[in-house]
Amino acid sequence: MDATGRRRWAIAGLTGPAYLWLALTVFLPLSAMFYFSFLTAAPIGGRESAFTLEHYIDFFTKSVYWFNARRSLELGVHVTLICILIGYPAALVLAKQISGRWREALFLLIILPFWSNALVRTFSWTMVLRGDGLIGRMINPLLPAGWEFDLLFTYPAIVIGLVHAYLPYAILTIYISLQAIDDSFIEAARSLGASRLKAFRRITLPLSIPGVLAGIFLIFVPVIGSFMEPRILGGKNAIMLGPIIENQFVTAFNWPLGSALSFIMLGIVLLVLAIASPVLRRHLSVG
Amino acid sequence: MTANTGRWIGRTYLGLVLVFLYLPIAIMILMAFNRSALYELPFTFDTVWFEALAKNDRLLTASFNSVVIAAVNAVIATTIGTLAALGLARYSFRGKRLLQILLFPPITIPWLIIGTSMLVFFFWTGIGRGLHAILLGHVALSLPYVIVVVGARLASFGPQLEEAAATLGATPWQTLWRVTVPILAPGIMAAALFAFAVSFDQFVISYFLASPGTSTLPVEIYTSIRKGFTPEINAISSIIILVSMGLMMLVVRHFRFGGER
Amino acid sequence: MIRKPITRRMALAGMAGTAALAATSTRLRAAGQITVLNWQGYGTDEAWALELFKEKTGYDVVHDYFNSEQEMLTKLRTAPGAYDVVLINSIYVEAAASEGLIQPIDTSTIGHFGDLAPSLRDSERFVIDGQYNAIAWVWGVTSFAYSTERISERPSSIQALWDPAHAGKVGWRDDALESIQLGAIATGQDMNNPTDLDAIREKLMALGPQIKTFWSSEDEWNKYMAAGDYDIATYWSGSAARSKKAMGLPVEFVVPEEGAIGWFDGLCIAAGAPDPAGAASFINFMVDPEFYVRWDNEIGAPASANEQANMGLPEDAMNRAVLGDPEVVKRLQWMAPISDEQLQANQELWDEVKTSFVQ
Repeated sequence: MDATGRRRWAIAGLTGPAYLWLALTVFLPLSAMFYFSFLTAAPIGGRESAFTLEHYIDFFTKSVYWFNARRSLELGVHVTLICILIGYPAALVLAKQISGRWREALFLLIILPFWSNALVRTFSWTMVLRGDGLIGRMINPLLPAGWEFDLLFTYPAIVIGLVHAYLPYAILTIYISLQAIDDSFIEAARSLGASRLKAFRRITLPLSIPGVLAGIFLIFVPVIGSFMEPRILGGKNAIMLGPIIENQFVTAFNWPLGSALSFIMLGIVLLVLAIASPVLRRHLSVG
Repeated sequence: MTANTGRWIGRTYLGLVLVFLYLPIAIMILMAFNRSALYELPFTFDTVWFEALAKNDRLLTASFNSVVIAAVNAVIATTIGTLAALGLARYSFRGKRLLQILLFPPITIPWLIIGTSMLVFFFWTGIGRGLHAILLGHVALSLPYVIVVVGARLASFGPQLEEAAATLGATPWQTLWRVTVPILAPGIMAAALFAFAVSFDQFVISYFLASPGTSTLPVEIYTSIRKGFTPEINAISSIIILVSMGLMMLVVRHFRFGGER
Repeated sequence: MIRKPITRRMALAGMAGTAALAATSTRLRAAGQITVLNWQGYGTDEAWALELFKEKTGYDVVHDYFNSEQEMLTKLRTAPGAYDVVLINSIYVEAAASEGLIQPIDTSTIGHFGDLAPSLRDSERFVIDGQYNAIAWVWGVTSFAYSTERISERPSSIQALWDPAHAGKVGWRDDALESIQLGAIATGQDMNNPTDLDAIREKLMALGPQIKTFWSSEDEWNKYMAAGDYDIATYWSGSAARSKKAMGLPVEFVVPEEGAIGWFDGLCIAAGAPDPAGAASFINFMVDPEFYVRWDNEIGAPASANEQANMGLPEDAMNRAVLGDPEVVKRLQWMAPISDEQLQANQELWDEVKTSFVQ
């Protein structure tokens, strides 16, 4: 076999198993849903259905859908931004200042919250954020009259809950990238007269971009479709695109609309990330 | 700013972040020892929920199922995911963009939709429901995480070391095992832990694909919301966290999954 | 050289693991076993009841649960032959029957058939072309309940939910159909055929300052009531009985003068049920006073379709005193079947209302 053939086999062999698995379990089923999204009704139980674009058009014409899509996107941006801003310094400290066993121990400590059940964690947050919860009981007696700490069932509560859930993703992905950076690059730069800040901006930051992008991907995307934290922490402020889509499956029997909204959301996410990632790369790259 | 002050600020900051991360977990563990069934304060110490847990076969079996599935899932997803990440990072080919974009749907599309579509599709194709179906679903959901995490590590490293090894006469296999995998080790480790966590905490897909009578821990927790969310749930979650912490400390003591050069 | 075998070994282990999982997941159906599909904690899965049933008939009972009616329908559609007994709300029985998801029941196999209240038992929801597709089981009312600790005077009007005195202390269920039905009652309309949807939308939007948060399960309702988040909240009659009796919460259920939502549930036999005889015997047990009286007394339940069973309750039990009062029953509007289009329109309206809360 010649080099090109070997190369093709290598690519197929490497990416094949994963993508075949995804094809069988995700892509094929979702294609069915995609097909449904162009029908008037899901062809189940003997229902008549016809081809239509109405579900897609509904998104643009009915404010209840695009308003909440915007709300979800805003939530995604807020949570992702906060996670990266808090997570990057933490990852930096972990990668550069701490060494040896401590570093690995802390790395694992950061991952550990993943293994607590998300539902239980979120309910625990309600106990912290309520007016008569943990923080409330401590602070409220000290606050001036008229001020009350009662964050539960507000938008900030949703953000806090989501930041808490997704912060480890940011720290981890950024840490993994930072750790790959050879300290000798930094040392070389410093010995050539660069300040610490400059070395960071010109060398560390750009090389850590893949980690930042990975973090953004793993945070922004799921947050947009989240429904559990909004519902538990946001009370009646929980309305967002995620719950609306869910309702098409749970309360109404409108799979076509639910699918259409999901694929629109997918499209928006792809668009946002397609625009954001070259911009990030360009602004934070070397030179 | 001296290097020392810098260190102190850094460590304090990291400490604060950890406090934030563990605050609800501390509460969760605290409430496992609180007598009130409705999570009411004031706090009265009681181990009644742990006793109830010991008799709760359903919850214990479900937890066991979750652990087994998550472990098998981690192994499978990390293996094929790492291979895929290698393929995507080290080669450029037509259709690569498409493959990268195809990682989005499993994470973007709400799990409810993926779950419903999987349920219907598995029904049509005769795969049906059950633990095998759950595993199929979990690996699919874990793969994007694995591929992205390992991919980030690969991107930061660049192919120079591998190219150097090649010029020194190493075969692709040798390069893979002697150079790439050791470099990737922290990324693979992190990816495996991610995959385990994704599966262990996944309830929507598990819920749809579980057959009557079999269950996983998140499904039990989720459905118990209907009936009565008792602190037995806190008890089992606390046990899991503390056991995991113990395991991790053991791992750190005996293994260096390094990444140190 | 040394590493390669590890990969192959890992692969084999992975395959073995998967095979083991696959083997354990093919359910072996034990003889004398039936599978029931129902809401969790809704009577059919009471441990003592299942023990009693096993003593009487030798049958084991396994449960599967759903969290919404749509989910119940999806499960029926995608798991034929998996279920014997399934609980279906009256408004969905006809659709389920026409889709072939349930089978007609031979009423001679149901011993207590004659004791069931004719208005429910022979309802056109259950009887299609002279065939019984469901056995009337329980019925109840959706209205509201209030905390007797924090509200001293018993509210008699549904407008109490809109009373500014209770602003920020009202609990509401996040369900499109229920919300619109309550909105219809509050604006004096027929909840099954409302003519003025705009009035309903406005009325529901006025709930913005009233609602503290939504509840979606009995357990949440209890927790919010106990924590003082709710003073007054929408609720179901059976659940109110449970909250009062089993959870000891000081609450009272109210059927307001404007009326409330009446609903009833039927037990059905799934099409392709592996053991229809066992299913029928279980259904019969569920309408048996022996089961029902104990269920309501010890835990709290909706009203039984079996009049004998209701008579077996103590006189002050809510199901007998309140729901057994013909005056109260007259005020109820009974739920009617609803088309997919109507469900969709309802959902959109409710989503618009919820969106208005955040604008």
